[in-house]
Parts: sequence; C-alpha cells; structure tokens
Amino acid sequence: MVGLTLKQVRKNYGNMEVLHGIDLDIKSGEFIAFVGPSGCGKSTLLRSIAGLEDISSGELYIDGALMNYVPPSKRGIAMVFQSYALYPHMTVFENMAFGMRIARVNKAEINRRVRQAADILQLTDYLDRYPKALSGGQRQRVAIGRAIVRDPKVFLFDEPLSNLDAALRVATRIEIAKLKQSMPGTTMIYVTHDQVEAMTLADRIVVLRGGDIEQIGSPLDLYRHPANLFVARFIGSPAMNIVPAVIEATGEQTLVLLASGERVAVPVSTPSGLKSAPVHFGVRPEDLRLAEGSGIFGGRISLIEQLGEVQLVYLDVEKVDGPIIVKLPGTEVIHVGDVIRLDVDPQRIRLFDSGGMSVA
Amino acid sequence: MSTVAIPVGARPARNPWVMLGKGFLMALLVSAGVLVLYPLIWMALGGFKSNSQIFSDPFALPNRWSFDNYVAAWNLGVRNFLFSSLLVTIVSTITTVFISAWTAYGLTRTKMFGKPVIVGFVLGGMMLSPTVALVPLVQMMQSLGLYNTHWALIILYTAFRVPFTTFLIRAYMLDLPRDLDEAAMIDGASEGQIFRKVMLPLCRSIIVSCIILHILFAWNEYLFAMIFTNQIDVQTLPVGLTSLMAKHGTNYAEVFAAMTISALPIVLIFFFTQRYFIRGLTEGIGK
Ligand SMILES: Nc1ncnc2c1ncn2[C@@H]1O[C@H](COP(=O)(O)OP(=O)(O)O)[C@@H](O)[C@H]1O
Ligand SMILES: [Mg+2]
Repeated sequence: MVGLTLKQVRKNYGNMEVLHGIDLDIKSGEFIAFVGPSGCGKSTLLRSIAGLEDISSGELYIDGALMNYVPPSKRGIAMVFQSYALYPHMTVFENMAFGMRIARVNKAEINRRVRQAADILQLTDYLDRYPKALSGGQRQRVAIGRAIVRDPKVFLFDEPLSNLDAALRVATRIEIAKLKQSMPGTTMIYVTHDQVEAMTLADRIVVLRGGDIEQIGSPLDLYRHPANLFVARFIGSPAMNIVPAVIEATGEQTLVLLASGERVAVPVSTPSGLKSAPVHFGVRPEDLRLAEGSGIFGGRISLIEQLGEVQLVYLDVEKVDGPIIVKLPGTEVIHVGDVIRLDVDPQRIRLFDSGGMSVA
Repeated sequence: MSTVAIPVGARPARNPWVMLGKGFLMALLVSAGVLVLYPLIWMALGGFKSNSQIFSDPFALPNRWSFDNYVAAWNLGVRNFLFSSLLVTIVSTITTVFISAWTAYGLTRTKMFGKPVIVGFVLGGMMLSPTVALVPLVQMMQSLGLYNTHWALIILYTAFRVPFTTFLIRAYMLDLPRDLDEAAMIDGASEGQIFRKVMLPLCRSIIVSCIILHILFAWNEYLFAMIFTNQIDVQTLPVGLTSLMAKHGTNYAEVFAAMTISALPIVLIFFFTQRYFIRGLTEGIGK
C-alpha cells in the first residue's frame, strides 16, 4: 500500500512557479525528510500536501485517494508548525481538545485522548496552563500533542526545532525519533534545512533545490553516492572537498589530473567520450588520511580545529581555491604551518562531470 | 502602565526634587480632575435646585434635596429620548461591530478576486462626508418608509461607521499570525468557527475599543438624528434635549436635570469599562 503519491505537482504564485513538477512516492509508515536551502520550496510542498495551498497542477494521493480538492481537515493529516501556532486564548488542554470539540467527540473520549497524549509528552502537570506560561520546549510538545490526538495517517512537521536552543533541539530530536517508533503505522514528513536533523531522523531524504527534487534516497545513500555536486556539498558536515580536475584516460579505470598537478586513478569506468573533459574530484574530509608515501596531494596547514576526538585540519593546496578540510584523529600531532601529504581510499572518490552530475 | 519596582525593605530616596516633582504632578492631575468634574457636578446639583436659586445662588448647595425637577424632566420626554438613544446605540453598535469584524476577517483572510479594489472601496467610505449625502439619504429613507423611525438612525449609524471600524479591526487582524487560522483549519473548523472561536477572542481588545468608540459616537450624534427624526418618541437625547431647551428654556432646573439624566449612562459605561478602553486603544493602535 502506498502512503502518499505526488504526480507532477506544480505550484505557482502568480507568474512565478515555485514547484516544478514534483514526483514522489512515500510508503505508509515511512519517515521522510525534505531538506534544501532556504527558499527552495520545502514549506510550499509540505503545505500543498496539507491542503493549506492549492496545487496549481498535478495530483496528490493519500492512501490511494485523490486529495487535490479535499479540505485539510479531511486528509487525515496533522501538522506541527514552525511557530507552534498554539491558540493563545486556550489552555493546553483546550488546545489539544479543540479539533475533537469541533468534531463533537464526546467528553469522556476527549478527556481520555488528551490525557494519554499529555502523558506521553510529560505535559500532564501543565494542562491548565496557557501557552504564554510555557517554555519553548513545552510549547513544542503541546503542538506535537495537538497533532497526536488527531491520530493522523500522515504527520507533517515544518522546521519544528528551529525555534529551540541547541541543547533542547537535540533533546527534542530524540523525542521525535521515539515518537516515530511509537507510531510505526504513521507516515511522517519532516521539513528542515538542517541536514543533521534529516540524516538522524529520516528513513529517506528528499533533497530539494529551487523547486526541483535533486535526489531521493536513504541518508547513507545520499552520503555515499550523491547524485550530483549539489547534494554532495549539501549533505555532510564539513562539506565534501571538491578539486577541479581533467580526465586524462578513460576505460575500466579513470585517470584524472588534479588542478594541483597530481594524477589519481579512480576505480570507476568512464566512456571514452569523456577523455580530456573537465570534472570535479570529490572526497569527504574523513576519507582523507595522512599519507605513508607520497599520497594524492598535499599542502600547508593553515588552521586546526581541535575537537578532542577528531581535529579538523584546513589545508592550503596549490592551485586549488579554498581550503581542503581533513578530519584526522585528535591524537595526531601536527601544527599550523606543517606541510603534509594526504592519501585516500580510491573507492571513496566521487567524480562529477562539468554539469555537476555524478559520473558513474 | 509600568510600575517601578522598589526593593523590599528599601525606602524610596527622599530627594527633595523628586518630592517636588511628584507634588507638582499631583496638583496638576487634581486640577485637571476638578476642571472636568466640576461642571458635571454643578449641572447635577442644579437639577436639585429651584429655578430662582440657580440665579440667586449659583454656587451653593441646593436648599432642599428634591427629585421634583428630575421627575418633571423625565415626564417631559427624557424618558422617550433615553429609550430611543439606548435602542439606537445598542442595536447600531451590535450591527456595526459585527459587520465590521466579519468584513475585516474576509478582507484579511480570504483569497478573492480584486481584493485591493474592495479594500479601497470599503475603507474609502471613511472619506464620505455625511453632509454631502444628506439630501439623497432623506429621499431614500422617505421612499423606504423609514423616515422618522429608529431604523433610519440605526441604518445610517451602521453604514457610516462600518468603514472606520473595519479599518481598525482589519489593521489588528493583519498582525495576527496566519498559522493560527491554518491550525484551526486543519483541526476541522469551518470559516464561521475560525472566526468565532479563534479570531474574535484574539481580537477582543480591539473589539472592545470599537464598541466603546461606537457607543460614544451614537450616543452623541446630532446631525442625522436632527434631520431624520421629528417626533418626541423617535428623537434621541441630543436632539430631544435641544428641543426641550427650546420649549422650556426658562426652566433651567429642569433642563439641568434632563442633561444629568442623559449624561449618566455614558459616564457609567466609561467608569466600568475604562480599563478595557485604555488598554484596547493602546494595544489596537500602538502595537
Ligand atoms: N505566499 C507566497 N506568495 C509568493 N511567493 C511565495 C509565497 N510563499 C512562498 N513563496 C516563495 O516560494 C518559494 C519557496 O518558499 P518556501 O516553500 O517557503 O521555501 P522554504 O520553506 O524551502 O524555505 C520562495 O521563493 C518564496 O519566496
Ligand atoms: Mg520554510
């Protein structure tokens, strides 16, 4: 059974098209994250699913039923807003009970469901308070509680952690992960611009840019096999190092000449047409290590960020713009100004063509 | 309305300049209070005196505390004027505020074709001068058979005050986050329920201000009331009192009594709602 299907979904604001034909299949019970830079259309896509925005063209199905013209309250969804959107003139209890009261659910049932949700979210002592007398984290939990009592098929979150401070954000992230485990049948769609949240929570991540899907895949998939340069740079922190290069020889193996002057054999096969084509050579900071011998390239250390367990080493490499970042064990003894050589497992190297697409 | 926190146990400094400043402020406020209240009290006291005492002894207390003048004024027509004023004010307040709030909701919360034009059209009504429209309005009311009825005033007060009231409520609603209505929409509330259960409670302070502003307007309105009513049982207080003065102008005691009766409701309303009034206005406009 398919949880949610989008077919060629487009959204226009006046003459401006914000979503350019989104195709997406989400399985029932999946946790999906939409990530992408600010303004790429994540919220618009989520709000289109919720029914808060009309879809300009295309089709949206939830549980196999066409939803384009179904009002938000009939779609079986619940949404947690970035601002929490709690009703300020209602107590916590009333906030959570509002939807059920509208639907004329009987008192005993309302009471039971609100108290159950409050119990899960540790809000029982706060049921009589007004939102203004709650902390940010508590408000967040009330917003989640209001969504839980709706018993939704699809749970929508729009950047729910962005108004919390760093420590609370991690704690609440864990709460949401637990919530997901306790509601295995519920599909969850989670919008964030923070790739760490997406990586840690999602079963699959949808990377958006400028109203298009760049890639869909499991967190590890995106991390190991980014489909293009944009995803490669967006997923992972610090970002993947990119060095300009030229293909010197194609075939079973590909020989590339780096801008810094070294030649590297990459174990991917490339068609002969790509010979002498410019490419981007990508390698993640943690895949680089100090070379025993000459390595693939080297440079002078300009900065070291010691984090204890690891240290981030910023390297100036000749003829390469911007620093190359290397993640080395925290115990490695090195100093700013040292010249070091680096090596890499060739399996971990990624190549992108001049258009930014991954070279298979 | 902030209060200055004084640390427990510490006495405020006895700086002579501060004391002097406070004393001066106090004197100023008391004088202002006397300035406003004295004529009102003088008028109310005048209602207890006889006509001759008003002239012989204008600033003394009444010789005899008798309600005769009040009773006489009441029977001379103040009873009818008061009833008309109450009716017109209450009904037009309800219609104006309800229509304005609903309009403001529509103007701020719905997608509709040509909304800027409609906003301009509704709010442009504020520019309309009542005097200019008088002649056609008289003809209209006459042909509708509403001339010289309470309905004429109720309709006119509503029509002429909806733009301004809408303007105030709309400005307030524009500042309220859209997320709240969207959350209510997901919760299954209809437009009417969103309006009643979410928007109206959130707009309470501006609504209270609008109610009070409209009461003040309707209670004191003179031009329409004078032109559209001409009988004692339809006229409101401002017009009724004027005609009373014209007819019984020599009996000041009764006129004072009549004016006191007419001022009483508005003073009471203000007395009981001043908390809302002041807060509503500052929140509604200052925020
Ligand atoms: N109501 C609107 N009217 C016009 N443009 C809008 C509206 N809402 C969003 N947009 C535009 O649509 C694009 C996507 O916005 P949004 O979905 O909010 O991005 P994100 O949530 O990814 O940051 C942005 O360029 C934004 O300016
Ligand atoms: Mg957004």
